[in-house]
Amino acid sequence: MSTMTTLTRGVYRENPIFVIMLGLCPALAVSTQVVNALGMGAGVIFVLVCSNAFVSLLKDFIPEKVRIPAYIVIIASFVTVVDLSMQAFAPALSRNLGVFVQLIVVNCVILGRAEAFAAKNTVGSSVLDGIGMGLGFTLALVVIALIREVLGNGTITVFPVGGFDGTFVIPGLSEQPVRIMSLAAGALLVMGYLKGLLNVIEDVRARARSAATRSATRDGGRA
Amino acid sequence: MSDPQKNGPKNLFEIGGRLAIICTVAAIVLALVNAVTAPIIVRNRERELAEALSRIAEHRRVGEAIPIDDHRAVRAIFPVFENDELYGYVVRVIGVGYGGDMAVLVGARLDGYVFAATLMENLETPGLGKKAEAPGYMDKFVGTGADRPVPTRKDQLDASDADAVSGATMTFVGVARAIETASDFVRKME
Repeated sequence: MSTMTTLTRGVYRENPIFVIMLGLCPALAVSTQVVNALGMGAGVIFVLVCSNAFVSLLKDFIPEKVRIPAYIVIIASFVTVVDLSMQAFAPALSRNLGVFVQLIVVNCVILGRAEAFAAKNTVGSSVLDGIGMGLGFTLALVVIALIREVLGNGTITVFPVGGFDGTFVIPGLSEQPVRIMSLAAGALLVMGYLKGLLNVIEDVRARARSAATRSATRDGGRA
Repeated sequence: MSDPQKNGPKNLFEIGGRLAIICTVAAIVLALVNAVTAPIIVRNRERELAEALSRIAEHRRVGEAIPIDDHRAVRAIFPVFENDELYGYVVRVIGVGYGGDMAVLVGARLDGYVFAATLMENLETPGLGKKAEAPGYMDKFVGTGADRPVPTRKDQLDASDADAVSGATMTFVGVARAIETASDFVRKME
């Protein structure tokens, strides 16, 4: 598999949220604001890259029978590093994300990639896989959060910079938001519609591919 | 591709030993990270508490914390002085929200009148219960506790306030009961 494919397949073709459908619980829970999605995404990318690298590095040292406890120790250590660093250096983000930072430990994306990829591949490929999957997770989270926050609250919340408090208010929607979008049901609705949209896109692409193959076969037959 | 099952250790002690080595290295790394971050986290919390106390007391002077050990929810009180006379207390009280315990700072006059409140450490859901941290959330409780009871049910709120707490009823009830407890505590001290 090429380096580029390892890096990019997590972003779209094997997106952890929309295609592999892993890590949905924290994804749906924190996708109420764009800033939370960015913070959670950054945390997941860091943990995914570090845990993939160490699982790959130690794959010959970790005994098969205790591989899952060993992976969990590695993952939990990096999550604790993220949690303590956020509490120390980004207390507002840490407060916003609350318990979901600690819950990265049980995010299926991370354990899934450790088991399915890092334990069987080189450190370099595992790091690239971690970056790709992490970016795919973050991108999916930001898209869901953007739709939910705009419709459900009429705002887009990013990081505050200088005098700017970090919140863009959308006139009209902020006074009459579609409240259900910020609730749990809204998360499932947005996720479902986005998944449906991606399925339609994939369907169209598959039909186009099969039409092209048929046409090439026909032309080949005539020749 | 390696096959750890084929080449890995079979002896139980070696398997346990290798896992113990991983755990030990992880513990050492975490101890180092904790040594660096712990003092910063403590300073952050002290700064947050000082900011919250000054926000609640406004122009008034806040005295040293008095720990409370024998109450189910009240953890500490901070006397508040206006012109060197005791005006009331800021009460640090623990309420139970959707995500478990949450700390609330409640400013109450000696007659139990709630003049300000703010939500501190909590594990409420981002975007839902976390909205209780927003400025203005506590306005519905200000002015209650003495002549008017603290609203602890949604049907005691007006329509816009009830709408604002929808989706996070447990957080609202937890905050409301914590404020009611703090107000009662101060009134009974009188």
